[in-house]
Amino acid sequence: MTKIKLNINNKDTVLEADPQMPLLWAIRDLAGLKGTKYGCGVAQCGACVVHLNGEAVRSCVTKVSRAEGKKVVTIEGLSEDNNHPVQKAWQDLDVPQCGYCHSGQIMSAVVLLREKPDPTDQDIDDAMAGNVCRCGTYLRVRKAIHLASELQKTASNG
Amino acid sequence: MDNTSLSRRNFLKTTGAAGAFLSLGFYMPASAKQAKIVTAAEADQFGVELNAWIHIDQSGKVTIFNHRAEMGQGSYQAVPQIVAEELEVNLADANIVSAKGNKEKYGSQITGGSSTVRGSYKNLLKLSATAREMLIQAAAAKWSVDKATCYAEGGKVFHKPSGRQMHYGELVEAASKLEPPKDVVLKKRADYKLIGKPLKRMDTHLKTNGTAVFGIDKMLPGMLYAAVERNPRMLGKVKSFDDSAALKVPGVKKVVKIKRGVFTAYREGVAVVADSTWAAIQGKKALKVQWDDSGFEHLDTEEIYKRQAKALDTQEGLPFKKQGDVDGILSKASKKIEATYETPYQYHACMEPLNCVAHYQGDKLQIWGPVQAPEWLQEYLSKEMGLDKKNVEVNMTFLGGGFGRKALMDYPHEAAEISKAMKTPIQVVWTREDDATQGPYRPGITYRCEGVVKDGGIDALKVKLAGQNIGHASGAPKDKPNGSASEGFLKPYAESIKNLAIMDVPFETPIPVIWWRSVYASTNGFAYESFLDELAAEAGKDPLDFRRAHLKEERLQKLIDKIESVSGWKKRKKGEGFGVAITECFDSTVAQVVKVSKAATGGVKIDKVWAVMDCGWYVNPDTIEAQVEGSIVMGLGAATMHEVKFKDGIPVDNNFSTYQMPRITDIPPIEVHIMDNDENAGGVGEPGLPPFAPALTNAIFDLTGKRIRKLPFNLAAV
Amino acid sequence: MKFLKFRRTPLISQRNATLLSVLIFCGAVALSAFRTTDHLVTIHFKTENKDSIESVKAFMDVYTVLMSPRCMNCHPAGDVPLQGDDSHLHAMGPKRGADGKGVYAMKCMNCHQPTNTPGLHTPPGNPNWHLPPADMKMVFQGKTPHELAKQLVDKSKNGNKDTKQLLEHAHDSLVLAGWDPGEGRTLPPMSHKDFVKAWNTWIKKGAYAPAPTTN
Repeated sequence: MTKIKLNINNKDTVLEADPQMPLLWAIRDLAGLKGTKYGCGVAQCGACVVHLNGEAVRSCVTKVSRAEGKKVVTIEGLSEDNNHPVQKAWQDLDVPQCGYCHSGQIMSAVVLLREKPDPTDQDIDDAMAGNVCRCGTYLRVRKAIHLASELQKTASNG
Repeated sequence: MDNTSLSRRNFLKTTGAAGAFLSLGFYMPASAKQAKIVTAAEADQFGVELNAWIHIDQSGKVTIFNHRAEMGQGSYQAVPQIVAEELEVNLADANIVSAKGNKEKYGSQITGGSSTVRGSYKNLLKLSATAREMLIQAAAAKWSVDKATCYAEGGKVFHKPSGRQMHYGELVEAASKLEPPKDVVLKKRADYKLIGKPLKRMDTHLKTNGTAVFGIDKMLPGMLYAAVERNPRMLGKVKSFDDSAALKVPGVKKVVKIKRGVFTAYREGVAVVADSTWAAIQGKKALKVQWDDSGFEHLDTEEIYKRQAKALDTQEGLPFKKQGDVDGILSKASKKIEATYETPYQYHACMEPLNCVAHYQGDKLQIWGPVQAPEWLQEYLSKEMGLDKKNVEVNMTFLGGGFGRKALMDYPHEAAEISKAMKTPIQVVWTREDDATQGPYRPGITYRCEGVVKDGGIDALKVKLAGQNIGHASGAPKDKPNGSASEGFLKPYAESIKNLAIMDVPFETPIPVIWWRSVYASTNGFAYESFLDELAAEAGKDPLDFRRAHLKEERLQKLIDKIESVSGWKKRKKGEGFGVAITECFDSTVAQVVKVSKAATGGVKIDKVWAVMDCGWYVNPDTIEAQVEGSIVMGLGAATMHEVKFKDGIPVDNNFSTYQMPRITDIPPIEVHIMDNDENAGGVGEPGLPPFAPALTNAIFDLTGKRIRKLPFNLAAV
Repeated sequence: MKFLKFRRTPLISQRNATLLSVLIFCGAVALSAFRTTDHLVTIHFKTENKDSIESVKAFMDVYTVLMSPRCMNCHPAGDVPLQGDDSHLHAMGPKRGADGKGVYAMKCMNCHQPTNTPGLHTPPGNPNWHLPPADMKMVFQGKTPHELAKQLVDKSKNGNKDTKQLLEHAHDSLVLAGWDPGEGRTLPPMSHKDFVKAWNTWIKKGAYAPAPTTN
């Protein structure tokens, strides 16, 4: 066990963990933040996506040691009040069904909209093909990303 | 809003602090067909648990208990929407909690067979209207006016002539003392304010910020995590195991041998208990287990289908339906159409792998988990763990998908066994590999179809199917045909096809099988609707007109008209790649048209899917649209991407890396329409799946002239 | 540019020159499966050039490595990397991006860690996992030995590498990753040591390209 210092959702945190432990389990079982989900453990489904220094890493294959000294943002830390434009768009269009994959879907979409505020359908494909949804909410995910792009613009103009 | 359950005691303690309340629910005696509506006081008299569907306290706060599992299909929103309609409260004022597993309280809670709404809506409407009438009656008595001059709206009762009003909270005490009226008048569809409207789901905001608690998210003080090594051949026993390396993994506390029941059989496993999920999984990897899987045949996929073909060749099967002179016509016909269809085994692949939290405390067991059938589980665990049923508490969390798999009791059983051995709360988590390779699966079925066309119609149709019967594992008689042999096939065909035979050819393997979204309709639909298309082509008829000619029911004629118009069927050009299929399951009928074209990169691509759902009376069109879209996506995966293959008795693919899921890049535009009528409510979570595969392959035939009779197939290789 | 002896304009057509060169050298190259190059013909066909034979022979060894899944999978013809020993398109279709490091939520390093992830079908790792950038795609997939050899020594197509840098590239950590591919993946057809030897021979003996018809 090693003491690993990192910043989770704007809070300096020390986790006592096996440095080999994937960030996913460190976040869930050690930090107690359960919003980030385990789906496949092999970087195939995207349910575990968190932001590591802003990048949408798959926490199931990212060792907690890679996060040492870095900033981790999970779905719980994305906004103060569930009101990030992506979250709002997801709510407006009732995107989730079972909802299990959507922490990851949202975290991926946020990176897309940061780097491409006005994404085309092709950009959405390129950004979101790594996130599996067994309920098949993909059409709404696409719609919601376009809506979030609009909401983001309104927010930055207002 | 909280999605964890409240025990009745806590619930009453909390609400009791505010004084009186009106609590009204069903009492569903095991022998009675009709629900009894009772108040809290009456429930105590009957000696049954209070059925707290609806609970209104003195502050006017309304709590609605949702008795069904929420696994994405929208019961979290549909049930309150029904209740709030007749109760006359605003949905926003209603607090919703998930109910615990309790058959006495809620009747069937199995979330399966698309039954959440269709199985309970009439009782829910009546219950809610009863509560409303009691509140109106209480207000009328307070004001000393005729109750006919009063009405309820937005959680208040109004006296129309004087404009006086009272909040429900002010009325609960008086209302709770009234006898529930026997016959209440339900609203007409035209007067609905909530039902039939695309209202927002009430659980969405919990699912956008990580606060929704799924089974895997449940934590208890002192809880340890367990991962279980199970026989890769799914069946059999532990011969011996070496846990020396596992026990050296930091965080691992203990290794215990456990069993779990799957249907009527027990299977063994070795559980590694640790202080984190990761440590448990690492410990599991370090285990060395010798398995005894003698007595089980180690089958390959090819062998399974070879045997199905042989069974179809050599056996006539058990008659599920036989009318007219099918065999006579088939044997004498100058031209007989024959086709064989193969459908694969399928894995549920819920995004949330199986998991469960159990806390065994000697005389009592508490369960928290993503479970589809809480009251089955309560009963099962009370037997298995030797506990009084009332001491087994089953709490439903959100489900990260279910699709039939989470109606089984094996994973909660494991959690209970480990908790008992460890004397601590335990969460057992299945890895994706465990989840993908342990089954049970949807059975793969081969269909042999024969037909004769005469005068542009079907003169005779015979379908023989060979595949595992899900019922056999739980004791269904093997000398009777599968009761679902024609599930998916529209019932009115049996009226227009005078010479019809559906034969179930018995077929067994050791592979455990279970329901998978839309169950047999998911495979039957492909065979029946593909073969109908082949017969239509033989008859030289338009595939949709051919179906129309055989389906005389007015309701179906309307559905066919609708799919024809929304899809632009009549305007399509010959060979443009249009295919249609219509299937029925769980009291709903769905028609789909798929349009395909040649892909630039080779093969075909899907340009669009149109779907028309006729589910009768419905609650929320937005939920239906989402469910049909989701069903089509799941159908797309099963038709073109994945199947469970076996090699030497072991499932080959163990994760999404090789068991490929449809992704956002694979999804065509989907247009969903809903028929408006007042027929009995049908299911919405499953019926959208079966027509997709045959509509797709029929479209490919239209485009290329090639029939696809084996699923899954590769779109790029067509 | 000491070792780079390419000429762009042959005196006679490449095909004829190759045939001619084969006639000239077939006795000299005992049992060699490799044919000589056009360049060789254009410059040296009057003299027996032992270096060119050895260089080309070495390159054909190099070529088997470069075209093995471990190398080719990240030098795809399209903008999506390849995967597996059958070099199928990478599941979920991650895109190259301008810098070769992926795009948006699908950047290479989001899944590919600094080291291999244990287990079958898990992402192999390297601290600098990436594809060649969009402005210099360095495609291997579909290239003949002739095309690939030419491309490798063309500074405008090889990442602006001179001879020294090319020689060093054989020791690049990402190249080395090919020999530590993670569980379940086959290794390149020869050891890294033999690869370096062949690579060095190819370059030091003149970096000759096999004839265009060689495949």
